[in-house]
Amino acid sequence: MSDSVDLRAIEHFLYDEANLLDNPDLDRWIELYSEDGSYWMPVIPNQPDPLNHVSIFYDDRVMMEVRRRNFVHPRAASKDHSVRASHIIGNVRCSGRNQQGDLVVTSNFQCVLYYRREQRLYAGTYLHHLIATDNSFKIRHKKVQLINCDAPHKSLTIYL
Amino acid sequence: MIHTFDPTSPPIDDAALAALIQPTKLHRSVYIDEQIFELEMARIWGQAWIFIGHESQVKNHGDFYTTHINHRVPVILVRDRSGAVHVLHNRCAHKGAKLVDTVDGNARAFRCCYHGWTFNTDGTLLKIPNEAGYEGTGFDPKDPQNNLQKVRSASYRGFVFATLSDTIVELNEWLGGAAEVFDNLCDRAPEGEVEVAGGVLRYQHDCNWKLFLENLNDTMHPMVTHQSVVQAAEDYIATLPPEASSQRAEAEIIPPFGASYENFEDSGITGFAYGHHYDGGKTSIHANYSVNPDYWAAMVASYGEQRSREILAFNTHNTLYYPSLTIKSAVQNIRVVRPIAVDKCIIETWSFRLKGAPDEMLQRTLLYSRLINSSASMVGPDDLEAYSRIQDGLQSTGSDWVEMHRHYNRDKQLADRTVGGGTSDLDMRTQYQAWQAYMGKLAHHIPTGGDSDE
Ligand code: FES
Ligand SMILES: [Fe+2]
Repeated sequence: MSDSVDLRAIEHFLYDEANLLDNPDLDRWIELYSEDGSYWMPVIPNQPDPLNHVSIFYDDRVMMEVRRRNFVHPRAASKDHSVRASHIIGNVRCSGRNQQGDLVVTSNFQCVLYYRREQRLYAGTYLHHLIATDNSFKIRHKKVQLINCDAPHKSLTIYL
Repeated sequence: MIHTFDPTSPPIDDAALAALIQPTKLHRSVYIDEQIFELEMARIWGQAWIFIGHESQVKNHGDFYTTHINHRVPVILVRDRSGAVHVLHNRCAHKGAKLVDTVDGNARAFRCCYHGWTFNTDGTLLKIPNEAGYEGTGFDPKDPQNNLQKVRSASYRGFVFATLSDTIVELNEWLGGAAEVFDNLCDRAPEGEVEVAGGVLRYQHDCNWKLFLENLNDTMHPMVTHQSVVQAAEDYIATLPPEASSQRAEAEIIPPFGASYENFEDSGITGFAYGHHYDGGKTSIHANYSVNPDYWAAMVASYGEQRSREILAFNTHNTLYYPSLTIKSAVQNIRVVRPIAVDKCIIETWSFRLKGAPDEMLQRTLLYSRLINSSASMVGPDDLEAYSRIQDGLQSTGSDWVEMHRHYNRDKQLADRTVGGGTSDLDMRTQYQAWQAYMGKLAHHIPTGGDSDE
């Protein structure tokens, strides 16, 4: 790890992000992303890219903007059932900077999610590309690699 | 007496089964009765041609892909040494162990994990370890019973189907006029062929498999069910400054999913024998996609301008090959139905590359598959919410009937097909005529859809 990275600050940032998804507040969550930010959930392990292979999620800011409006729309029947989640993040590591100069941060997560009268468990690894700002970070890219990415999935109406 | 869902009720007889389907209404037990589900698996999924996979999934000798024909019967799609593609029962000829338990891969031969019986990729028995023990026992290793058993299979332009029936008509006859949509899908490739590309999405649906099928040409739901995402996209577009053209172009993919009743009415529905049908043809919600210039150039080089125009003008929305496969030729993806239980099925979405077309065409197909068909999309979950609520609502004893009257008596009977308005229930009537014929074991005679009782 090069130029003095404050791992505690990174950890706190990841906790704050997860908190905005626990009791979903997508308006504030989106503000954590840069204008060219993206959110990716591949459907296979080691998926090389999101464009030449299908994914569970691959949202840029445009789709995030549509999604946050849809999420609270009174006529979205699948949202009649609220989502409650509880994220635990651990094993946070920073492996340095990528070519763009973003901090490359990996972590493990578990998320228990309650939706449609049923409790589910998701687990996997996060990869964050973070842009350091004056006193915090912006997310340029977040990849959510589920350990059961290639299993059949039920409806997922919220980012993990 | 009509059968209702009650575990203590006696086995359902053919007369009671027939009474469940009336010309304009269906008895609720077809969606919620476990006994009827088992009969469907035997009589519909056990007789019809079921989609297994595409030949491009098994390109080389020994490539295999495994799936199920109905909720139980496991099969292997495999290419043998000579290049022939087979559908084999996934069951060891010795004591019945499932031979292959991975989804796909490549094998020079299939070796059973239990006692090591080994089979060639065409299913023939290759070797039994310590075979001497069978000498003088009456066991004949040459008996074809000791091979992996073949499932009757056939393919149409690379799409492989299999059937557990010896008597159903040949695949070509079974597809009938509905094969024109397969032709259109393949003709959209400058080289006239498509191949599976970009992976598969598997979406668990907690509902009866038929609810998914009935939604394909249900053109009365989009403006209601998908109202929220359409408004969300339109609200966002309204915030964009004039120069944000790329953002606008991206968000504009969504509003067609809430197209107007008039728009859908014009697209029409066409029904065929064996329960197949499609909506669209002259126009559909996919009709106004802009054509990639490099793709157009490749098409014109292959087909000439006039034929290219004809191919792209045939614009269907969803086509159903009852009961297992639905395709979107204009988008180049398919969805495959895999029933699990009376209230559970898996919907698989596969995407296709148009051979000879630029890579952007596949990327567009994959974008569509993700935005519309992913379990995390903003479209699919609202559809599934409706199916799940039907599954729950039909437990009500308030009424025994589900209705399908729209445009009844207005359908037009042509030589090999029935045509009607785009918001007609012609699609449901087509499906349930096939349902009734399969369930009455009359698979040799399944009429064209429509409102005639025959
Ligand atoms: S069960 Fe396959 S070798 Fe015995
Ligand atoms: Fe829909």
